[in-house]
Amino acid sequence: MKKWLKSLLFALTLIVGLAGCSEESSNDSSSSEKDSSAEQEIVVNAMSEPPDLDPAMATDTTSGWIIDHTFEGLYTKDQDGKPVLGAASDVQVSDDKKTYTFTIREDAKWSDGSPVTAQDFEYAWKRVLNPETGSAFAFYMYYIKGAEAYNKGKGSVEDVGVTAKDDKTLEVEFQSPIGYVDELLTMWTFYPVKKELVKSNGQWAAKPDTYVSNGPFKLTKWNHDSEVVIKRNDNYWNKDVVNLKKVTYKMVNDATTYYQMFKSGELDLIQTLPTDVIAQEKDSEEYKVTPYFGTYMYMFNVEKEPFTNKKIRKAFNLAIDRELITKNVTKAGEKPAYSFVPPGVETPEGDFQKNAEDYYVKKDVEKAKQLLKEGMKEEGWETLPEVTLLYNTSENHKRVAEVVQEMYKQNLGVDINLSNQEWKTYLDTTKQGNFQMARMGWIGIFVDPVVILDYYLGNSPNNRTNWINEEYDNLIKQAKVEQDPAKRYELLHQAESVLMEDLPFTPIYHYTNNYLTDQSYEGIVYPVNRYPYFKWAKKVSE
Amino acid sequence: MYIVKRILTMLITIWVIATLTFFVMKVIPGDPFASDADVLPPEVLENMRDKYNLDEPIAVQYVLYLRDLVTFDLGYSIQSQTRSVNAILADGATASALLGIQAMAIALVFGLLLGILAALNHNKIIDYVSMFIAIIGISVPSFILAPLLIKYFAVEWGLLPVASWGSWEHSILPSLALAASPLAVIARFMRSSMLEVMNQNYIRTADAKGLSTTKLVIRHGIRNAILPVVSFIGPLFVFLITGTFVIEKIFAVPGIGRYFVDSIFNRDYPVIMGTTIFFSVILVVTLFLIDISYRFIDPRIKLTSGGD
Repeated sequence: MKKWLKSLLFALTLIVGLAGCSEESSNDSSSSEKDSSAEQEIVVNAMSEPPDLDPAMATDTTSGWIIDHTFEGLYTKDQDGKPVLGAASDVQVSDDKKTYTFTIREDAKWSDGSPVTAQDFEYAWKRVLNPETGSAFAFYMYYIKGAEAYNKGKGSVEDVGVTAKDDKTLEVEFQSPIGYVDELLTMWTFYPVKKELVKSNGQWAAKPDTYVSNGPFKLTKWNHDSEVVIKRNDNYWNKDVVNLKKVTYKMVNDATTYYQMFKSGELDLIQTLPTDVIAQEKDSEEYKVTPYFGTYMYMFNVEKEPFTNKKIRKAFNLAIDRELITKNVTKAGEKPAYSFVPPGVETPEGDFQKNAEDYYVKKDVEKAKQLLKEGMKEEGWETLPEVTLLYNTSENHKRVAEVVQEMYKQNLGVDINLSNQEWKTYLDTTKQGNFQMARMGWIGIFVDPVVILDYYLGNSPNNRTNWINEEYDNLIKQAKVEQDPAKRYELLHQAESVLMEDLPFTPIYHYTNNYLTDQSYEGIVYPVNRYPYFKWAKKVSE
Repeated sequence: MYIVKRILTMLITIWVIATLTFFVMKVIPGDPFASDADVLPPEVLENMRDKYNLDEPIAVQYVLYLRDLVTFDLGYSIQSQTRSVNAILADGATASALLGIQAMAIALVFGLLLGILAALNHNKIIDYVSMFIAIIGISVPSFILAPLLIKYFAVEWGLLPVASWGSWEHSILPSLALAASPLAVIARFMRSSMLEVMNQNYIRTADAKGLSTTKLVIRHGIRNAILPVVSFIGPLFVFLITGTFVIEKIFAVPGIGRYFVDSIFNRDYPVIMGTTIFFSVILVVTLFLIDISYRFIDPRIKLTSGGD
C-alpha cells in the first residue's frame, strides 16, 4: 500500500478546498479600489429588476429611478427639488388657467440625435390613455380634458385635450384649473416617447439598442436580474451640467450582501440598510436619512364591530405611543405620524404637516381609556368585541404589530389578536373588507397633500375602510380647483381635520429612506419622494 | 422499444405536472394585477386580463395554455410585461446552469475523493477527518456558509468580489457555497458504498491474484462502488442547475432560482407554469439519461421495457 500517496492526495484535497487561506497577506483591500484619477462613474444598488423601463408602463420606484435619469418631461426638478421647465422652453397659461401652451425647446433632442417634437408628447400621452395600453398610471392624466372618458373606453381619442399645434407647440387643456400642474408634469407618466419608434416597435423599451430617450442619460446595457447601465446622453440639451459618464444600477437584493459590497467598494451608494447595521452606521458621514413622502398606518373597517364606533376608533388611536415605535422598533429614522399627510410639503405658512398640530392624535392614555368606556356604553357592550389586527407577512410588520398589541394591553386593557397573510392574499382579503384592523402604507408619487388625502375619498379604490364622508370629499374637490395656494392649503387642512376627527385609520409613522453614500461624490440630490438623482453628481476624489 | 416507451411516459408525466400546477395555481387566492395602489380603472383591468386570457372560464384557459405549450410558447410575464417567459428562462437558466455545473464538478471531484480516501483508510485518522468535513458540509446551511465565505474571501482578504455577476471570479464563491452540501453527501455515500464493495470476495480474489492496489481500487472498487452514487447524482444535478433561491439571492446571481419563489408571490401565472414545466422537463430527461448511462457503467444492466 502506498500510504504516502494516499496521504498526499488527501492533503491536496484539503489544500485546494481551503485555497486562499495562505494568500492572506499578499492581497489586501487594494483589489477593491479601482483605477484612480476619479473616473466619472458611480455604481449604485437598485435592489431588484425594474419591471418596465417604458415611462407609460412603469408604476414602481425602481423603474422610475432609471426612467427619471433617461427621460425628461416638460417640467423637471432643480437641485432644490422645485419644478422648473425641462424639455419645454416656455409656457403660456390662458386666463381661465385651463389651457397651457408649451413651447418645446429648439435644442431638445432624442438620444439618437433627432429633435423632440410636440407630436412626440401628444403621442406619448395619448398612448398612456389608450385603454389598449393598459397603463396603470393613466389616471394621473384624468386632469386633462377628455382623458378619463377615453381611458375608460367611453370617449374618443380626438376629444383628449392634448394637441400638437406644430412641431414645437403643445397645447394642453385641463378639465378645470389645477394648482400643481408643474409638480404633476414632472411625473414619468408624462414623459415623451419617440413617436415613430414606439409606433413601429412595441418592444422598444425592452432592449438598450432600441431604447431612445431624451434625458441626461441613455440606456446602454440591461443584463436582466444583474445590472442596468446608463451613460451620459451627448444629445441632451443641457448636457454640460452632467458630470457622470456612467451610472450602473446593480440588482442586489440581500441586505447583508449589498452592505458588504458597499464596504468593499463594489457599490458606491446603497439604500435600505439592514436594521442591525443602522445603529453602527448612524453617526457615519456616509449615512443619510431622507424623508419619504408616505405614511404607515392601520386601517379600521368602520362596518365591523367594534370600529363602528368613532370613540372606540379614537381610543385605539390615542393608546399608541408612536415615538416609542420609531425609536425602539423601526429605528431607521422614521418620524412618528400624528396626522396623515407626511412632512415635506412646503406651504406659505411652513411645512403642511407641522401646521396640522390642531388635530394631531398624540398618545393620551387617560383620554383613551375614557373614550373606550364611553364608546362601549354607547354601543351597550359589556365586553369589547374581539379585535384582530391583520398585517401582511413580514418581520418588520410583525414587530410593529406586536408592540401595538402590547400597548393596547397596557394602556386600554384590551387583548387583541394578531394575524398575518401573504401579500397577494392579504390584498384580496382587505379589498373584500374581511378585516377589522389592517396594516397599509401609502406613498405619494408627487409631493402634494392631495395625492395622500385622495386615499380616503369615498370613491377611491384604495379606501378599504368603508368610511365615506361627503364633507371630506367636497373639501378635497374644492381644493383641487382652488388657485390661491393659501386658500388651497386651508381647504386641505380642513379636509384632513375631518379625517382626523372621524379616524377611519390610525397613522403610525412617516416613512424615510436611508442611504450610505461614498463620500467621494458630491452633488447627489435626494428628493423627498424619489431615489437619489445623479444629474449633477460628480466624483471629486478617489 | 424501451426508449419509445420511456419517452411517452415522460410526456405524460410532464402533462400531469402541468395540469396539476395549472389548477392548483388558480386556486390560490389573490390577483396578479392587485397591488396596494389599486389604481386601474375596471375598464383597463379588463383589457389586461383579456391580454392574458384571464377572463375566460378556467377550462378554456387551460386548453389555451396547452395549445401554446405544444408550440413551446410560454407566454409573457405579468410582472415584467416586456419579457417573455421563454426569455426569462433562457437568461436565468444560463447563469444557474453555469453555477450548477461548477458546483457539481466541485462536489463530484472532492466528494468522491474524500469518500474513497475515507473508505480506504477505514477507521483511521483520514477517515475521521473526512467524515468530520462531510458532517459540517451537511449540517451548515447555505445561508450561513455563504455569508462566511463572503466575509473571509471577499471582505477580509479581498480575494474575490462580494457578489454580483459578470466575470468568472463572480461565480467562484457561489459555486463553492452551492457545492458544500452535495459534496458532503457524495463523500458519505461513496464511503459506505466503497466499504461494502471492498469487502466483496471478488476484490479479495483480485488482490490475491496480485493486482496492484491502484488497479484494484480503480478497476474493481470504484467502478462498482460508484453505481449507487450515480443514481442519486441525477436528481442532485437537476437541483443544482435549476438554481437555488438562497444562494442566488445572497450572491446576486441573475439565475432562475428566484423566479420559482417570486412568481408565486406575484401570482405571475405564466412564470409559475414556465418554471414548473422547465424544472420537470429537466428532471425527467435527466432521469432518463441516467438510466441509459447505467448501461455503459455497468454492462450487466440491460435496457428492457420490463423495468430496470
